[in-house]
Formats: sequence, structure tokens, C-alpha cells
Amino acid sequence: MSEQTTLTVRNDLSELERLGELIDAFGARNGLPAKAVFELKVAVDEVVTNVISYAYDDGGEHEIVVRLSLDAGELSIEVEDDGQPFNPLAAAEPDVDQPVEDRPIGGLGIHLARKLTDRLEYRRQGNKNVLVMRKTARSM
Amino acid sequence: MDISETKSGGIVILGVKGRIDASNASTLEQKALALIDGGERRLVLDLAQLDYISSAGLRVLLMVAKRLTPRDGKLAIASLRDQVKEVFDIAGFSSIFKIYPTQKDAVAAV
Repeated sequence: MSEQTTLTVRNDLSELERLGELIDAFGARNGLPAKAVFELKVAVDEVVTNVISYAYDDGGEHEIVVRLSLDAGELSIEVEDDGQPFNPLAAAEPDVDQPVEDRPIGGLGIHLARKLTDRLEYRRQGNKNVLVMRKTARSM
Repeated sequence: MDISETKSGGIVILGVKGRIDASNASTLEQKALALIDGGERRLVLDLAQLDYISSAGLRVLLMVAKRLTPRDGKLAIASLRDQVKEVFDIAGFSSIFKIYPTQKDAVAAV
């Protein structure tokens, strides 16, 4: 089974809930396991939250495009924005073994996206940032 | 996200229902930090009805713990659903927070 879906959200954090619902619907249409759908939602949320929070400095409205495709149980997710050039994968990995007092606040989002997917790749394409995630999610 | 608040025997129990993401995490943050600033020292966060959490929600928990620790306060988290638990595990939060299977256990721990 294969499906490609394009979701478009505005650069507004209030869009995150709707984005989650769209991913739930994609998962349901394709019979994906609940665990994989949840992981997909968190990974996409983290990347899109990063874009909304840091990619724009003009105060204007922008569109972020999320392309989901599923082919033989392999998910490919592209998140494309027209913000400033930014490679989130260049950020340092947090030390997740530190005690509460020493843990920095923040820096966890991309860590979660990395751990919840099998592969993350970034490319600058024209005036767009494109983050590609790949994840195995066998249909039930 | 809906937040319920109950207090008994000097312990405040916050129940969070629905989703915690970057759009609403500050609501929970303000609520919890105001309680601590108002003198509360024993907090239980009951997440039995929490469907979804992102790093924005984890960040709030870390801020609450950082505010409580130097004031000799205690925080316990109760009733994580499996998928929320997975996010805690990946972030390393399952080892740095006190997490209990039921609200009763969490209340007994603070």
C-alpha cells in the first residue's frame, strides 16, 4: 500500500493540534500501529515547533508544508519551510543522564525527533529548509 | 488542555487532560509556578488523562522541579499512559522524576 499526503500549516503554534489530528487521520487511513502514529506525531510536532519558533523574524504569516508518504511500511516525512537557513541537526545532543539541577531547559525537541525516527536529514533547497525523516511503520 | 486542581492535607494535585504542546505549555507552567511561589511545596501531577506531550511539556516539568528543589519541595508524577511514558523514557525523564503508577502512590510519596 502506498499513500502520499501533503499537509499545510501556518507558522502559528495553535496549528499543532490540527497537525496532530491530520497525522492521526493519515495513520488511521493506512492502518498504522498506534505507537508508530504517536511517535510520528511527536517527531513532526518537534520539527514544526522549531520552525515556527525560530525560522522567521519578519513577524509575517508563512506556510509550512509537511509531506507524508508511506510505501511498503516505510514512512518518509518532509517538513519544508521558507524561513532563514537553519540546520537543526547541527545542535548538540543533550545529556539525558544529568540530574534535574543540571539539566538545561530546552534542547530536547530535536533529540526526541531523532530518537523517534530512524533517520533525519537536512538540506537547504533554494530558499527553503527541508528536513526529511524516515521511519519504519509496518501496517497491521 | 484542561487542568484540574485539588488540595488536601497540604498536597496540591494537578490533573492535566488532553494535550501539552508548545501552544499551551505556558498555561501549565504559570499555574504550577504560581502555586510554588504562593508557598505550595508538595505537588502531584496526575497525567492519567494526558493523551499527548511534546518537549514543550517536558520543559515545564523541568522548570517546576528546578523551582521546587531548592525550596525543599517535592514533586511526584502519577499515572503515565504508555505513549506519554515512552516520551519520558527517551528524554531521560523517567530516571530524574519520581513517577508512580497511581495518584494514591504519588500522594504518599510527597
